[in-house]
Amino acid sequence: METRDSLWNLFQKRGMSRRSFLKICATLTGMLGLSPSMLSKVVAAAEQKALPVVIWLHGHECTGCDESFIRSQSPLASDVLLNMIALEYSDTLAAAAGEPFEHHLQKIMQQYAGQYILAVEGGVALGDEGTYCMVGGRPFVTALKEAAKGAAAIIEYGSCAAWGGIQAAKPNPTKSVSVSDVISGKPIIKVPGCPPIPEIMTGIVMHYALFGQLPPLDSQGRPKQFFGNRIHDTCYRRPFFDSGMFAENFDDAGSKAGWCLYKLGCRGPEAYNSCGNMRWWNGLSYPIQSGHGCIGCSSNNFWDNDSFYQRLPNVPVPNHFADADKVGAIAAGAAVAGVIAHGALSAVQNSKRQAKEQEDRAGGMRA
Amino acid sequence: MKRIVVDPVTRIEGHLRVEIKVDETTGQVQDALSSGTAWRGIELIMKDRDPRDAWAFVQRICGVCTTVHALGSLRAVEDALEIEIPKNANYIRNIMSATQTAQDHLIHFYHLHALDWVSPVEAFKADPAATAALQNTVLEKYRLPFAGPMDFDFDAYPKDFPKATTLYFKAVQDKVKKIVESGQLGIFAAQWWDHPDYSILPPEVHLMAIAHYLNMLDRQRELVGSHLIFGGKNPHPHYIVGGMPCSISMSDMNAPVNSERLAVVDTSINLAINLINYFYLPDLLAIGHMYVQKGYVDGGGLAKERVLGFGDFPDEPYTGIANGDFHKKLLLRCNGVVEDFGKGITSAVFHNLEGKDLADPAVLNEGVEHSWYTYPEAGADIHPWAGVTKPEYTGPKEGSKVEWKYLDEDGKYSWLKTPKWRGKMAEVGPLARYIIIYTKVKKGLIEPTWAEKMVVDQIEAVSKVLNLTPEVWLPTMVGRTAVRGLEAQLYAYINKYYFDKLVKNIRNGDTAVANTVKWDPATWPKEAKGVGLHEAPRGALSHWVVIKDGKIVNYQAVVPTTWNACPRDSKAGYGAYEASMIDTKVKITDKPLEVLKVIRSFDPCLACATHLYDVEGKELSIVHTDPYFKG
Repeated sequence: METRDSLWNLFQKRGMSRRSFLKICATLTGMLGLSPSMLSKVVAAAEQKALPVVIWLHGHECTGCDESFIRSQSPLASDVLLNMIALEYSDTLAAAAGEPFEHHLQKIMQQYAGQYILAVEGGVALGDEGTYCMVGGRPFVTALKEAAKGAAAIIEYGSCAAWGGIQAAKPNPTKSVSVSDVISGKPIIKVPGCPPIPEIMTGIVMHYALFGQLPPLDSQGRPKQFFGNRIHDTCYRRPFFDSGMFAENFDDAGSKAGWCLYKLGCRGPEAYNSCGNMRWWNGLSYPIQSGHGCIGCSSNNFWDNDSFYQRLPNVPVPNHFADADKVGAIAAGAAVAGVIAHGALSAVQNSKRQAKEQEDRAGGMRA
Repeated sequence: MKRIVVDPVTRIEGHLRVEIKVDETTGQVQDALSSGTAWRGIELIMKDRDPRDAWAFVQRICGVCTTVHALGSLRAVEDALEIEIPKNANYIRNIMSATQTAQDHLIHFYHLHALDWVSPVEAFKADPAATAALQNTVLEKYRLPFAGPMDFDFDAYPKDFPKATTLYFKAVQDKVKKIVESGQLGIFAAQWWDHPDYSILPPEVHLMAIAHYLNMLDRQRELVGSHLIFGGKNPHPHYIVGGMPCSISMSDMNAPVNSERLAVVDTSINLAINLINYFYLPDLLAIGHMYVQKGYVDGGGLAKERVLGFGDFPDEPYTGIANGDFHKKLLLRCNGVVEDFGKGITSAVFHNLEGKDLADPAVLNEGVEHSWYTYPEAGADIHPWAGVTKPEYTGPKEGSKVEWKYLDEDGKYSWLKTPKWRGKMAEVGPLARYIIIYTKVKKGLIEPTWAEKMVVDQIEAVSKVLNLTPEVWLPTMVGRTAVRGLEAQLYAYINKYYFDKLVKNIRNGDTAVANTVKWDPATWPKEAKGVGLHEAPRGALSHWVVIKDGKIVNYQAVVPTTWNACPRDSKAGYGAYEASMIDTKVKITDKPLEVLKVIRSFDPCLACATHLYDVEGKELSIVHTDPYFKG
């Protein structure tokens, strides 16, 4: 670890001055929300902080999150894997396999006890003593609990690790749950999405590599900088919603014109994710831009919330507290008040759904 | 005799365990067992869902071969509901599917398979100047100058081209040295780098390949442009039953598809052509040639005896799959079974396989003799449509339920079922597709399309390079890996071909992407059944759906890795993974690199392969009727 580069070493190698390094440290201190008196600590950390060791485990998953991770543009996958983290265990990318690989995992867990980041992809199968997901001849849940003990922090990569995922959809045949359903007492970052946007996944690594701590999280453990808004709030088609201009059927005139997809089932009004602002491939597209409503893949239990083409109930259109069918052209001046009221109402609707989910979930766990 | 376990098998998708028995004096693998060690229950989860949602659920079977299960599902639902999709939607789906396979093959070679052949430790020893010279030689000697038809060829020059300078290779080598010296190997940790197989290739090949591993790691993301534009994201782009959601309009500035968006797709398609022609294929053929020259023509196993395919790329929209129309419209007619290709093209026997055959329980069925399931009538295999699925987890032969030592090769040992064609095992995948097309063309059974002709030309060109006949080099570990690269080249041009067809059709005034006449479930028959076929990157895929009262009542997927990685059967013998391991020799018993190499030559995808069933032992659902009977 000590032979790996600190931030200061990286600056020196790129021929950058001490002065510019200190300036960046001061900026970092501000960005981290620390008081200026903490500057010396940030400088010390940036001088000495070795690159973090990452252990990446796979439970019940489809490997789509790994694929997404290596699709990152900034930072690029090679920079992440060779210069930002030491990815010491990953069944998808590691050269090694079998016993030597498992032995290496044990060694790393001891050597970096209390220091490594544990990234988990996939749900945790609990049915029949966890035997529906065996890795190295043992239940995945056993390996997860062992690895979690010495972790400095845990990242739940993707909706399976964060919420249980598709295998936890009704009737949840393998009794799969999220990582935080079986692990507690550790800082846990939820990074939902099926899969998450590549730059969200690497952005969290980048944040940790740069600042040496977890990014600010919301009440559910999601990084605020990536999950602070609903897609509906940042969608480039939002003005059409506000104006009552909707696609009524796939491939109709409204679809061709790129109008709002709310009536075709879009989950944008309840999905917290960065698809509307960051988009995929550094701003290239996202499902709504390609003409399909959001399926809410970062939301808890999105698989069991009605058909994807069923219109969300009771999302009021601004300036008209009835429903979308009755809305015609609206006066632009009234739109602002409408947006505020709309936000408040959908928050109520959201919390109702979440309460119901928790109920269902508790029921599922007991079953 | 020594028994060796490798678990987990890494650089694959999902959870796979292999156990082998090796004769320590000869190094010959005497017996081998392949076990899928996880299952998720997705087919069960499909029950009572809206069939229009099915594509999104089953797409999550796999995020590596993302799109393939979505496509299989859409085709099955559309077959059931008798929906014919518009021309543009057919072209777009073909583009997305060709994109997927070309990109997936490239990632497999560089990021999942390469470290079985090359090592950063060996790259350490290379001379950077000699590596630059080698790069030039490889480009001169191992390119395959084939191409498909191109109406809109806007790619002015090869923009992505391997660097062949001393300084470049020195810089990459310095980085590799640093990693090795740091003792913190990251993804390169704990491999058997001292294995003699890593000295088969000279150090310069290792350095060149490691440089390309890094190049391609950073470039592969740009190959999936079509998924981003037509489906909004990757992995897991969006589709709809009846076509595509991405409306086309040249007179709306907010349209999902317009000229600017098509340009993104075109650029991405051209990049794939370049990366495959100048990186992937030359690297692959150079390495494969050196292996073959040193006598490595093993690991063929079942491919020599029997391969199976379903065919793909409907050139134009079709009215159905079960009614036979799908198979009349294909660009790539690799549907069928070829037996005994290993004995040469004259001895090889071709058997046709079309929609109607798939409905016949005597033609296609699944057994559970060594799978953790039980059937009502022991030993009687069942057609996938009748899908009795009762789990019977019996644990290992040695060890406990939650701490395995050895699995039980005499009993049950895998969550994969054993699919069979006429009671026999068959290998599927790129190698199977190539053997089938080559056989059909050579025996004069079909007049080749441009794509099928390219398959034959590629095989003959490589035979010339290797100075071996196709039956010798194709059904081997090297051949399986080499054909994947040939297919990447073919699919890169198929991608271009359908892009051009799309543009020409839009130019003719047709912008439709969705047929929504049957969008409303009220328009559907009370009961309907359908099958969806697709040649996925890893081989022949079939999805089977039964719809009743607007909901799914049964869903089955028989996937490529189930065909290949399935457990043995007392009548049918070994599946493709097990047969290929038994057809392999290991040099060091405790470090069976050769066995991992042959397993990875299949590009394993285990999340796809494991069928998921009800833990309580309830039957998933039983359909007793003929799946193609639309009464």
